[in-house]
This record gives sequence, structure tokens and C-alpha cells, in this order.
Amino acid sequence: MKHDPDKTLVIIDGVRTPFLKMGTDFGAIDATEQGRVVVQTLLLRTGIDPGIVDELIFGCVSQPADAANLARVIALRAGLPEYVPAMTVHRNCASGLEALTVASDRLHAGRGEVFIVGGTENMSRIPLFFSLVAAAKFAALSRAKSAGGKAAAAFGFRPADFAPVVGLKLGLTDPVSGLNMGETAELLAREFDISREVQDEFALQSHLKAAAARDALAREIVPVYLPDSNAGFVDRENGIREGQTREALARLAPVFERNTGTVTAGNSSQISDGAVALLVMSEAKAESLGLAPLGRLVDFAWSGCDPKRMGLGPAFAIRDLHERIGLRPDDADLVEINEAFAAQVLAVMKLLKTEPFDGLALPEDRLNPQGGAIALGHPVGATGARLVLTALKQLRATGGKHALVSLCIGGGQGGAAWLETL
Amino acid sequence: MNTITPKLETPKRHHTRRVPAKRRLHLRLVEGMAVISFDHPDKSANVIDAEFLNELETALRAVVRYGVKGLVFVSSKPSVFLAGADLESLGKLHGEALEAVVARGQAVFSRIASLGMPTIAAIHGACLGGGLELALACDRRIASDDPATKLGLPETQLGLLPAWGGSTRLPRLIGLPKALDLILNGIQVTAKHASKLGVVDEVVPKERLTERAIALLDKTVPKRKSFFLTNNPISAVVIRSLTKRQLLAKTRGNYPAPLAALEVVGHGSWVTGGNLGRSFSRERDAFVRLVETDAARNLLRLFFLQEKAKHYRHDPSLDPKTLPCIERTAVIGAGVMGAGIAQMTASRGVPVILADLDPGRVAAGMKSVSGLFAEAVKRRIFTTHEARRKFDLVTPSAERVPLHRCDLVIEAAIEDLEVKKKIFADLCARTAPGTILATNTSALSVTELAKAEGITHPERVIGLHFFNPVSRMKLVEIITTEFTTPEVVERALAFVRALGKTPVVVKDSPGFLVNRILMPYLIEAGRLAEAGVPVATIDEAMLDFGMPMGPLRLLDEIGLDVATHVADTMVTTFGERFAPPLLLADLVRAGHLGRKSGRGFYRHDDGKAAPDSFAKAPRDLPDKTQIATRLNQLMVEESKHCLAEGLVRDADTVDLAIILGTGYAPFRGGPLHGTSSSLNRL
Repeated sequence: MKHDPDKTLVIIDGVRTPFLKMGTDFGAIDATEQGRVVVQTLLLRTGIDPGIVDELIFGCVSQPADAANLARVIALRAGLPEYVPAMTVHRNCASGLEALTVASDRLHAGRGEVFIVGGTENMSRIPLFFSLVAAAKFAALSRAKSAGGKAAAAFGFRPADFAPVVGLKLGLTDPVSGLNMGETAELLAREFDISREVQDEFALQSHLKAAAARDALAREIVPVYLPDSNAGFVDRENGIREGQTREALARLAPVFERNTGTVTAGNSSQISDGAVALLVMSEAKAESLGLAPLGRLVDFAWSGCDPKRMGLGPAFAIRDLHERIGLRPDDADLVEINEAFAAQVLAVMKLLKTEPFDGLALPEDRLNPQGGAIALGHPVGATGARLVLTALKQLRATGGKHALVSLCIGGGQGGAAWLETL
Repeated sequence: MNTITPKLETPKRHHTRRVPAKRRLHLRLVEGMAVISFDHPDKSANVIDAEFLNELETALRAVVRYGVKGLVFVSSKPSVFLAGADLESLGKLHGEALEAVVARGQAVFSRIASLGMPTIAAIHGACLGGGLELALACDRRIASDDPATKLGLPETQLGLLPAWGGSTRLPRLIGLPKALDLILNGIQVTAKHASKLGVVDEVVPKERLTERAIALLDKTVPKRKSFFLTNNPISAVVIRSLTKRQLLAKTRGNYPAPLAALEVVGHGSWVTGGNLGRSFSRERDAFVRLVETDAARNLLRLFFLQEKAKHYRHDPSLDPKTLPCIERTAVIGAGVMGAGIAQMTASRGVPVILADLDPGRVAAGMKSVSGLFAEAVKRRIFTTHEARRKFDLVTPSAERVPLHRCDLVIEAAIEDLEVKKKIFADLCARTAPGTILATNTSALSVTELAKAEGITHPERVIGLHFFNPVSRMKLVEIITTEFTTPEVVERALAFVRALGKTPVVVKDSPGFLVNRILMPYLIEAGRLAEAGVPVATIDEAMLDFGMPMGPLRLLDEIGLDVATHVADTMVTTFGERFAPPLLLADLVRAGHLGRKSGRGFYRHDDGKAAPDSFAKAPRDLPDKTQIATRLNQLMVEESKHCLAEGLVRDADTVDLAIILGTGYAPFRGGPLHGTSSSLNRL
């Protein structure tokens, strides 16, 4: 791609909340509040005039019911002027990356120069639902006028009506293939012959790498203040297990396939809460504002694949990206692949060594150097943006030039992006 | 950017009978109904004076003559319905002339009540005192849900009582207990709250107010709730005696108005419908009596002093509208004061960064801010939703972030000059040259700060001294140095006023104004305790005098170490009268620092405070009156010193500052009261 500073998107800076396991401290707030915190802090840190932002685009999968288009709510509550439009995007697990690529498309289309992008997810707060049958009975109850009518309507309920449908389970199941995410990982484990031990080893490494990288991770994180909590603030991930061992991992039971499964809670990504925000703009604008970017977005690709094998998505996206820009994973100083499941990343690694993906093998020594979602957690709407942020921060720290970021996407897709420092 | 100008209210089909423009009110006919609209030609607020009552009477006669089917009262002002009596003109009346105006108002409002057709007040904006009394004389009241709409009877806060029928009509409308709550506390309520209390019948969007009022005139007036359980002679006696006890404990007999109001309102609640005139007479008598009291005179004076402070211009040649507003702020230091200042700022819609050294400190500050907003919601100052939006305006920060977009930075860190110097030098590097840098210090020299190394543009270094607790104390001292420019002062004045506080400009000097005047008083109180006067006696003496808190209790609140330190600094500049008694040093040495350490002059257990005893062999100890006189005299003396040194503009300013900053007995008018010529006007 020819380099045109007016059409090249650079990332100035980014911040994120610590990623916390679902049901812990962020259960007290919601995805909107998480998003507000990161956007507000990003504005504070960069010192820009919020009025120069052309649009705010945020990824979120399970939007809170009380914040339709939560990107708009975040924008207004974080102090952006009313005239700055906002949009929420959803491409499942890669929504945080989608926000970035949409901004890039906007820039190319001449529809803005400065954007705040990111993603937020609060999986603690994904609701429980009433079944349709139960919902109809509630409606009938509220329509009933007389005391007799209300009594009759109340008597229509059965115990089964009060058994909630778990929204989280629904969200993590692909309706086309009928498999939930873990089941797709088990399928790949079987087809690519990835043993339990290998998966656990991968998981262990994720934790060890993350534990060793606490200081570096701290440079991405901003404290989230929780006035109603005892501690008053959170500024540390709580998913990383400093003392993780093979034995501890081996003790866990498989979750998705009863007697013969290999995918456990320990070698899957954690279900988490968190948010990320990035300030991006055209390279020309950054120069005119005197801002030094972390890096530029060179190009990206979105691809579709078999929903039953969604975990292979990155392989196809990386291939499509290679077709666009001619760069291979090996050309990168750093590769960040989202660790949805150990089995899934390992399957991608094996696939990329096969003939149809000739030359696109992943450099395993440069893969997820600071650990991944197995240790850090995977708040689905935010992760895509976290990978971009961590890749750029690592390049800056190590003096590297190129980074490849990729994710698998529930429903059968893959996304990949190439970043480079200036 | 994208704003919509609200459509001004246009009445539908009507023929206007406009009267000449100089009138205070206008009468027109709309769809067979009469509409009287208030619109004072020279003031931004509609107020009631003798001329207003004349015009109203004339208009009522006309209304009867036209034979209309109903009457609506509305206002043409954007945010005032009828703000009450015109204190300026009525404040000049005495004796018979005043009594006549009171009687006149009662008569005109009673005329409204007996007009023989449906009447309704359509209230948008401030509806206070006499304004609410007029509305109470109507058959119905509706009010807009706009934030500008406030209803109340605040007369007792000026040492008076509602005497235009309000003390009679309100308890009959909403019941004796609720009426007493409103009248004795002088509180102002929103339309929603007023509707809940029964003061208004409906809450309506302001654009629909007049049309709804006209539509309601056709509907029969709802049957009013009877309050026979509370509004009868026996209940009234019981309620009165309970309330009287509470009032006496609170006012210590210094404020006659609430007690008088209690009597009149109690009686008015049950007097029979045919005998309302008796209650109105009692209102009138009480009012005329109260107006002559020192308390009323001084409270009225205080009101005028506050109004004066609202409009004070430090440099009349400067047009404040040409100066840049304070739109973004930062507070350095997230302690009690910092958090309080940040919350106050955010509550007025101004974004504020709350910064401190580490997340733990910032978190504590954010907890304070959150707690203050929760309290405000409880006190019905904001709804939960509003409080959330205002809390969003506070951005916490534990890192060094750019501050170049801030117009004002307030430092509220520890009271250490070297630390403050460093902070200010750093602030100079991070802010634009026009950013005002203010310190909340209560004891250190602002001039020293302005002169310190690394300070650029010293004209922007001032003091903004808030008082604790920030949410309740109205006073802010603006401390100027030899470098301060008038522009900076005017911008600071505008900011303090935007916070709803009263500013007082003081030249930099140890203790500034309020703490300087308090110090000798507190020190002497300590000396008396040292001499063996019981702690409780000393504090009681000043509570009887009218202070909100006794001096020794106040010392415990401030912290004995802080007080000693402040006193020591002041000895160097001002001399021995600031030398703290040895007892203070002893207590501090023993670790008894006051409330924060659980013990000082009092033992503080679970919020209760029991006075400690330092009695030696007491002999020839002064009694309470002597104590009060002696301690007050010290405040008077120090006030005179301050005035002589030119620290503030005039004696009025001293009085205002001391009352607002310390709660000094407002009914007494202030330490220099009596030496000021403005007193004689009233």
C-alpha cells in the first residue's frame, strides 16, 4: 500500500482497565462505566481537546440493556461534546479490533481524521433471561385489571417458568453450527491431535509469561476507582496465577466434552470484564498536533471460515492479509494471537505449517511474549483493542518494528492486522 | 453548536388589553379567562411593594367588572414568578407605615381568596415569601418542573414570619407539621417536592403552564384534604410545646422569629374558617413586633451584605464579561478539603481533575466526593441521575498529566511551604500563562509562594481559602498579593460566585481575615480552661452568645497541633496576643490532638464528646456572661486591627466574613457591627 499520511491511521496512545475475572470487582459497575473510565483517562493523559474527535467507535458484544449504543453514552459521559457522533460495533470476539478498522475505513472515506476507538465488556452483568413462555405470562399479569383477573394470571405460572436462561451460555453458543465455543475447541483438539498435556503446557506458559510481565502490563493499565468498594480502586489483573503449575492444571476436569475432553477452564481464556481505549488519527494530523504516535496501522483483513472450526479463523485472516501486503508472520518482531483456547491457538500454529499456508508459519519464539487471554482474561468486546495496545507498547519497549495481531471469532471468522512503528 | 432556541410562550386566540408599559403587572383576557402576568419593568425579579399591591387591587376590580369565568396568575420573567416582598423599599418603613403595608397585602390577597371565581397560580421560577402567599390565596397552584422553580416561605431566616396570610393558609392546606417544617426552617422546595407536600396540585412542563392553568379553571376545584388530626387546638398545643423545646435548644432564645411563627402558625391551623381575620391579625402583630428586634435588623443587614458581595466589582473599570470564564479546573490534593472543593466544583457543572500522589490517596478522595454527592441526593439537592452526571465531571488522576487546558488549578495539599513551592513551580511548567494558580492554605504566605523559584507570571498566584466543610460553608477568602492583577481577582470572584459561595477579597497576611480574628478568641478560651474554668462552661457561654460551636470544641475540630502551629506563626508577625497557652502544648505533647486523636479538650467516643476537666483550684472564676463578653471582645479587637491594616475594604466585609466563615451569631450582626454606618440606614 502506498504510504499517504492523510490516509494512514496512527495510534497515538491507549489505556485499559485491568482485566478482572467475571464476578469480581467490576461486577459492581457496568460496561458503560468501564468504557467511560478509559476514554476519560485517555483524554486526560493525552491532553487533547475532546472537541477535535470526529467520532467515537467502541466494540461491545453484550451491550447493557440500559445503554443502547453504549458508545454514545460513553462519549457523552466521558466529556466529548454533543456534536461528536458515536457508534457501537459488534464482530464477536474481535469487536475491539473492528472499532479500529472501522476508524481506518472512515479515514479512507474522508469521514473524519481523529477517532477514539476501543472496546468494553462486562460479562459479569450478562443477564439471565425469562423464557418466551414466562415473558408472555408476565405480560398477561400486567394487563389484568381486576383482582380476580390478576389472581387468575398469577396462577398460570409453573415452576419451570422461573428457571432462567443463562444469557452468557446463549452468547457463547453459535446458532448456525449449534456448538458452543468450547466445543469448537474440542473439535480442533481432536482433528489436529492436540493433547491435553500440550494444551496445559501452553496455558502454563501464558500464566508464567504474564506473571513475569506485570511491570510491562502495568504500563498499559489505568486504575479504576470504585468508591463503593473497600479498597477504593483496582489497578491489577486478578486472573494471572503467579504460582500456576502443570499439576494444578492437570487436576481440572474437561468442561465441554465429558469423559474424553481435553479443554478445561485452565487452558481456556477466562471470562472477564474490562475495557480499552485508543486515540487514533491520520498520520498527518498527528504531525500537525505535534503528537508522537506509538505506531501505524499498515493494513488489516477480515475472513470467514467454518463456524464449527471458528478457532482457525486467524490462519485465514493472516493469509488474506499476506495477499494484501505481502508480509508474513515471520517478518514480524512480535505476534499476538488471542488465546481463546490453548487448543485453538495450537491448531492455528499447526495449520499454518501445512502446504496451503506455505511460508506463513508463526514464529513461536515471538508469540504472545507477555501471555494472553488464558492468564489475562477475554472480555470479548475489548480484547481486539488490547492486542493492538499491547503489541505497540511491546514494540516501543523492545525497539521492534513490526507486529501482527490476530483473533479467532465465534461464528466462524478471523481478523488480522499489521502494525508498525514509525 | 446544535442548539434549539425554545419557543417563547405565545397565548392562543386572545384580544390584548395592554396597559401602559411601566406597570408591574398586566391584565389580558384569554378564552374568557383573565390572566394577570407579573413583569417588573426595572428589575430582573418580580417583587411585592406598595405599588405592586395598588396595581393588583386595581386589576382585581377590573377582573370582577369584566365578569370573566376565572383568573390565572403567571409571570413574564424567565426564572422568577414572584420572589417576595421588596426588602429594599419595605425595609425603609417603620411603625404605622409598615403595619399598613402588611394589612394591605393581607387584604388584597384575601380579596383573591374571596373573588367568587376560580383562581389559579401558574408558577415558574422563584415563588418565595409573599409570592407564595399570593399563590396560597388562590384556589389552586400548578408549578413547572424546571430547576429554576423554587417554592418556600423563608421569612424566619430574616427574623420575621409570613404575615400576608401564609402563616394561616399554609397549615390549613398541608397540615400543621409540614407547614411548620417549611416555615420554621425556611426551606425552599422544588415543584416535585411541593407537589408531594400538597403545596402545589400539579407539576407541568413550563411550555404548557399557562394553557394548563386555563384548562383547569373549567374543572371543579378538588376537595381539599382535612387535617383535623393535627389541625385542632389540642394537637396544636402538643405540637407547639414539642417544637418549642427543640427551637429553644437550637436558638438558645436568641432568635424570637421561629418562636413567634410557631405560635401564629399553630393557632392559624385550627381557627375556624369564619375567623381567619383573627389569625391574620396575629400575623400582623407578630410581624410588627419582630421587625423591631435586633435579630431581624441584623439578619436583614446580613442579607443585604450578601447581595452586595454578589455584585462587588474589584475593579469597576473592568467588564467581567470580557474576561475568560473558568471552564476547566484541577484540584491538587485529594484530602478532605480537596475532595470537598472538587465536589463543589463538579456540582456546579465545571469539570475538575482531582489529583494526588498515588491511587490510594485519589481513591480516598473519590470516596469522599461520592459520599458528598450521596448526601446531596438525600437532601434532595439533586436526583440520583443528576448526581451521577455531575460525578462524571470529576476525573481522578494519580499521574502527572498535562494541565495546559485548565483555567484554574487549586492546590489543597499538605500545609508545608516547601512542598507547596515545589508543587507550584511544577504547575507553572504544566499550565498556560493565563491559568490561575490558587492555594487553599489557611496559614502560609501566598506572597512567599508567588515569589518562589520557578514561578512564572506571579500575578496569577492567589489564595482561594475555603472553609470546612466546603459543602456547607458559604465563605471563600480570595487572598491577593502585591503581584495580583485586577483581572485575576475578577475571574476568581466570578468562579467563587459560580460555586454559589460568597467571596471576600483579603490582602495576604498570616491567618488572612477569619482565622486571624478567631485566633485570640480561641487562645483566650484555652487560657480560661487552663485557669480552671470548666470546659463546658466556656463553650456554653459562647453557645448562649450565639456561636454555633463552643471555642474549645472548635479547637478540637481544627486539631490542637494545627492550632498551635498556626498560633506560633502568627506570634512572629503580630505579637504575644497570639501566644498559645501552655495547656495546649501539654495536650499536644500528650498526643491529645482533638477529635482526630479521640481526645483533646473533649473525649470523643462514637461522635459524642464529653468535656475533659483541667480544674485546678478554681477561684475568682468569671461567669458565663463575663466569659462571653471577654471572648467576644477579643474578636472585636482583632477585627479592628485587621480593618486598620487595610486587609479588607470595609467593616461590613469583616462582619460578613466572620458570620459566614465561623457562624458568628448572625443575629448580632458581626464583631464590628455598630461601628458601620450602613447599619443606621436600616
